[in-house]
Amino acid sequence: MADTPLRPHAERAARTESSYPVAGSQLARGLQRALPVVVTLVALLCVWEASKLLFRIPDQKLPHLSAIVETMFSRTQGGNGPLLINQMLLNAWATLRVALAGFALGSMLGIGLALLLSQSNALERGLLPYMIGSQTVPILAIAPMVVVGMGRMGAPIWTAQAVVAAYLTFFPVAIGMLRGLRATSAQSRDLMRSYAANRMQLFWKLQFPASLPYLFTSLKIAATASIIGAIIAELPAGSREGIGVAILTSAQFYNSRPPALYVTILVAALLGVVLYAAVALVEALVLRGRRVEGA
Amino acid sequence: MQPSTTQPIIEFDRVSKIYSSGAGAVSALHEVSLAIAPGEFIALIGPSGCGKSTLMRLIGDLEQPSSGNLRVKSKTPEQARRDRDYGIVFQSPVLYEWRTIRKNVELPLEVMGHPAAQRSERARTLLNLVGLEDFGDAFPHQLSGGMQQRASIARALSFEPSILLMDEPFGALDEITRERLQLELLNIWGSAGQQSTVIFVTHSIPEAVFLADRVVVMSPRPGRIERIVPITLPRPRDFETRESPAFFQCETAVREALRTVERGHV
Repeated sequence: MADTPLRPHAERAARTESSYPVAGSQLARGLQRALPVVVTLVALLCVWEASKLLFRIPDQKLPHLSAIVETMFSRTQGGNGPLLINQMLLNAWATLRVALAGFALGSMLGIGLALLLSQSNALERGLLPYMIGSQTVPILAIAPMVVVGMGRMGAPIWTAQAVVAAYLTFFPVAIGMLRGLRATSAQSRDLMRSYAANRMQLFWKLQFPASLPYLFTSLKIAATASIIGAIIAELPAGSREGIGVAILTSAQFYNSRPPALYVTILVAALLGVVLYAAVALVEALVLRGRRVEGA
Repeated sequence: MQPSTTQPIIEFDRVSKIYSSGAGAVSALHEVSLAIAPGEFIALIGPSGCGKSTLMRLIGDLEQPSSGNLRVKSKTPEQARRDRDYGIVFQSPVLYEWRTIRKNVELPLEVMGHPAAQRSERARTLLNLVGLEDFGDAFPHQLSGGMQQRASIARALSFEPSILLMDEPFGALDEITRERLQLELLNIWGSAGQQSTVIFVTHSIPEAVFLADRVVVMSPRPGRIERIVPITLPRPRDFETRESPAFFQCETAVREALRTVERGHV
């Protein structure tokens, strides 16, 4: 999986280098892009420690950053178990697997719905209100129903969790893709008409590629939503692993060990960032060469 | 070229086009009759709302007449479209942004199922013809407006259509680029083995006169043909053509026809 999408990227890098005679300019630009992220992080850490100092917030409410890092690399099970951070990453991996399954399922469902709805205005008017309605029901109410219901039918527990994640995923994808499928200009359709293109050609050569920027925007939203869904679904499932379980456990032991909760929250946030970044990377590869919005 | 003795390639017979909107019906074209000979270069000129673009779109079967009879190569416009009889160029280049310039030029051939080798050969020839041979791998947004429009012309010519429909193709370009592309268009048109018929919609009097065999002057509300001005300037035309007395005479004739239009409606 790694080498095929990387090849075009390498080609582009080669081309860019030949048109920019200054060696290492790519590295310089990479650093320049990373700089705001680093600055923001440092600023946040400063605000954290400064507010502790200024407002005299006790460690019980807001631990020192050093305590959080220390807890990350402390051993579990009274000093004999693995590092806490390793255990958290294992939990994160369990959640990520479910989220990925839900993300894939929900994206396919969303794309399918968009294709269906784009066929006629009547279908859109008929189905869209129910799709919107589905998203106004709190996921906390849906998750137990799905988990218990599918459990009774004998489905493996992770599939029920993935369905909950998919429930949060399909909607942004459907809306984004639908918008994208309708984003072609009248003249670009006139062109296809003048070539006497058939419906499939119209779709694959015009509508689908034109919809991709919209699709990727919605996939990035859906990526983080699928993580939330996977975490929520762990609670009624009675799972023994997963970052949602870890959050609950460390919340229970908050009084004795506050930094542990912050570690789990950080790892959960990291999970969303990782999935978002993965989608953004695929987007950059698929949409290479296109005009970047605002560039 | 003897338009009078040959069978017309495009024939309008009392063609009308009415758009019905919320506010009522708008007559875009009223009983237009016009015969265009094969290989003719026709310029359509007139104020906004005179139906010149509608006329062009009817030929291309992008819209259908409300009444009257329209024949393209003795067929219905729909049949002509299905036979891929015309190539079209709009005011904006309408290049597909996810395709390189070469892939954009190959697009019609792809749709029509030409084999890959033939497509790339044809794209190479056409990119040479429009002076974009070094830009085949560029993406549209990396090119200037004039270069994009050249690519769009190459795309329209790629499958050698017998009719070329051009809707103000140089309207968005600066004057210098515009005049250069007019000359290039004439060279391309003149160099094609079997000369195609061109329907060219424009707002510009000098452009119409410089390019066309006949300038069709149209008037609005309802859209109709006011006068047809034959342009007898010799071909091949070049930059000096624009400075000849005959050119000014033709310009004046078109301008006066347009003034009649204005007088009748202001």
